Amino acid sequence: MHLTPEEQATGRRNFLRAIAGVPVVAGLGAAALARGPITGGPVRVGYIGVGGEGRVLLGGTDPAYARVVAMADINPAQLALADAVLEKGGHTTKAVHYAEWREMIQKESLEGVVIATPLWSHADIVVGCLEAGLHVLCEKMMAWDVAGAERMRATARRTRKILEIGYQRNYNAVYQAAWEGIVKAGVLGDVFLARLAWHRNGNWRRHGEPPAANYDPSAWGYPTWEHLLNWRLYKKYSRGLLAELASHQVNISNWFFGAEPEAVIGTGGIYRFKDGREVDDHIYATFEYPGGRSAVFSTVESNAFERNYEIFYGTKATLLLQGESEAYLFDEATAPGTPAAVAPTGVTVQPKGAGPALTASESRAADAAGRAATSGGATVNADRLAAYKAEVSGFCSAVRAGTPLLCGPDRAIGSAIACITAVEAVAQKARLPIPPPVAQS
Amino acid sequence: MPASIMFLDRRTLLTRGPVVSRRPRTATADTWLRVHRVAMACRFEVLLSGEDRRHTAAAHEALGEADRLDAAWSIFRDTSEVAAINRHAADHPVLASPELFALLQRADVLWRDTGGTFDITTAPLSRCWGFLARDGRVPDADAIDRARACVGMDRVALDADARTVRFTSPGVELNLGAIGKGAAVDAMAARLAANGVRHALVSAAGSSVRAVGGRDGGFAVDLTSPLVDRPRLARLRLRHGALGTSGNGLQHVVHDGRRYGHVIDPRTGWPADGVVSASVVAPDAATADALSTAVLIGGRALAEAWCARHPGTLVIITTEDRQTVCVGRSPAAIVEAPCT
Repeated sequence: MHLTPEEQATGRRNFLRAIAGVPVVAGLGAAALARGPITGGPVRVGYIGVGGEGRVLLGGTDPAYARVVAMADINPAQLALADAVLEKGGHTTKAVHYAEWREMIQKESLEGVVIATPLWSHADIVVGCLEAGLHVLCEKMMAWDVAGAERMRATARRTRKILEIGYQRNYNAVYQAAWEGIVKAGVLGDVFLARLAWHRNGNWRRHGEPPAANYDPSAWGYPTWEHLLNWRLYKKYSRGLLAELASHQVNISNWFFGAEPEAVIGTGGIYRFKDGREVDDHIYATFEYPGGRSAVFSTVESNAFERNYEIFYGTKATLLLQGESEAYLFDEATAPGTPAAVAPTGVTVQPKGAGPALTASESRAADAAGRAATSGGATVNADRLAAYKAEVSGFCSAVRAGTPLLCGPDRAIGSAIACITAVEAVAQKARLPIPPPVAQS
Repeated sequence: MPASIMFLDRRTLLTRGPVVSRRPRTATADTWLRVHRVAMACRFEVLLSGEDRRHTAAAHEALGEADRLDAAWSIFRDTSEVAAINRHAADHPVLASPELFALLQRADVLWRDTGGTFDITTAPLSRCWGFLARDGRVPDADAIDRARACVGMDRVALDADARTVRFTSPGVELNLGAIGKGAAVDAMAARLAANGVRHALVSAAGSSVRAVGGRDGGFAVDLTSPLVDRPRLARLRLRHGALGTSGNGLQHVVHDGRRYGHVIDPRTGWPADGVVSASVVAPDAATADALSTAVLIGGRALAEAWCARHPGTLVIITTEDRQTVCVGRSPAAIVEAPCT
């Protein structure tokens, strides 16, 4: 990712301040105060799984926070691509390559791992790493099944190691502002309905060549190269669009509703791409929360008009969070018969960088959306990458300085259980109760 | 407040340096939040630093001031208070709201103090030149004379006791275009401060800016002009003060090879020339707004005269030869990038 030298310097300064223990020690909690100043350089991390998502995380890894000691991936082509990402990111030391994650954590002196492997492997890898004494940042969704997620959560608790689940929206400034400044502040009034949409118009199936003509991934559970390349389309490895897309959004509705859903009604199917895939390409699911609240999720692979958003409809106002980069607030009518506010309030986020806070000039007119006069709003990618960077840096700060995390297993398991249950509800076209997480002492 | 620091008193906290959230530094710490809305045909914005994200609701509420004042002051809405005054004040005195009356009184004082260069009655001239409809044209001399006969703040009688407005000749019109955005920005700043917001940068259209507080020496603001091919005319650090900018770059008409901007000199009836961009740093945005228009018309001479009589005002002028000069100084702004 592109960072200005000033941004890099600021991030580095913040981190160094944190690891020095002063002056932010007051903010680190009683335990940090008791420990006194904390020392140590960048956290020694290993990456497990450096496909597309893993490389985005790698790109968001600041060398001031993390030294990527080693990387494991069963596909050597991915490792070569990951090397290029590290080099571009200013990492001066080369990471050692492994095919087997177990070998990597045995041979390397690591403090933490970042895991971005196919869903079905999360539980075993996370538990194995936690048991080996490593802190873990694992991409969402937590696990393929509830038992796996519960196993991860219990192991983290028992081993007292950090387990953070990669829901980047938690680290996104737009969502943080929406939560603290709008939802928590009561601006929306009572919210009974949320809509969660992630609409795309294209085929989820990927095309690519194996790393070698004789490449055989069967030792890792994938009978053919195609099974590995398109693991998302096979039920054995994947929970489909509910895990890959909905779980992000249900994580947000859980956050903003301050609750977890109690039941889910689902329907859907393979309606467009009847190409041998096992997971649905159209899904509609209603998650029922306590207090008569619902979050209605839809994902389609046949139309991208609505793209992706979360909307919270309150008695006083409506909050739209769109494309992970911007928020809009629409006031409800203040009196019977009066129209609601025509011009919404927008919230956008921009990295501070070295540029000005504002560009002033003679008056500039605005178009209806106020875009013409913007002084450099953030792009979608800038926001998303900033959130990834904050996530990885936050994980490293937690490892090094004990700062709290934003989406540990107790929080992440809610959307995992809800979405795993929704997979079953969609398959049955039924309403199913969502079991609460197992109580932990 | 994090439990772990509750036992520390305020003084201890100050001596220990900044208190950070119990949350780790995240995407918000090094980000700007822009909370914005369209009103008065431009973008109003409250800029918050990421750590002030809890004030998003206060920013939303402050933006309501822009909507409220747009509804009250717009000459393009028949239902506005200013439109009602324009319709009736030539016939009889019209009662004004306290807020509008106070603004009209300020406009009257500014008109006197700027030698008539800032004038809220120039709408007939702007219309005659086609600028009200954003369709500039050079009118004939008779049309300019007819328009001038309706222009002049001396044709507006303000009765402070009765709080009424009366036009002393027909055809007079009020148009708050050169002060209204600044006044709205001031109202927003007041609302933010009342809600406990200590640091925010409020702006409208990029031309009316007001800093509420301002960490680390103030908000960095770059001054630009569409007529000047430089990344910026100057960079300011703005803190506890306002910046108003006027220019002739975006609306203009070309006649006989000469470029005429949309700001009309009410003393001549012809567009101002000589200055391509004028910015003023003053304590409040309404004053900064009005003065920037006055300086665009009155030029460096007016700026120097004003600053001599009003210490604490900074004027930044870019002339037709693209030279940028600073006149005066203000405690609210540090000019970081030197004027050329």
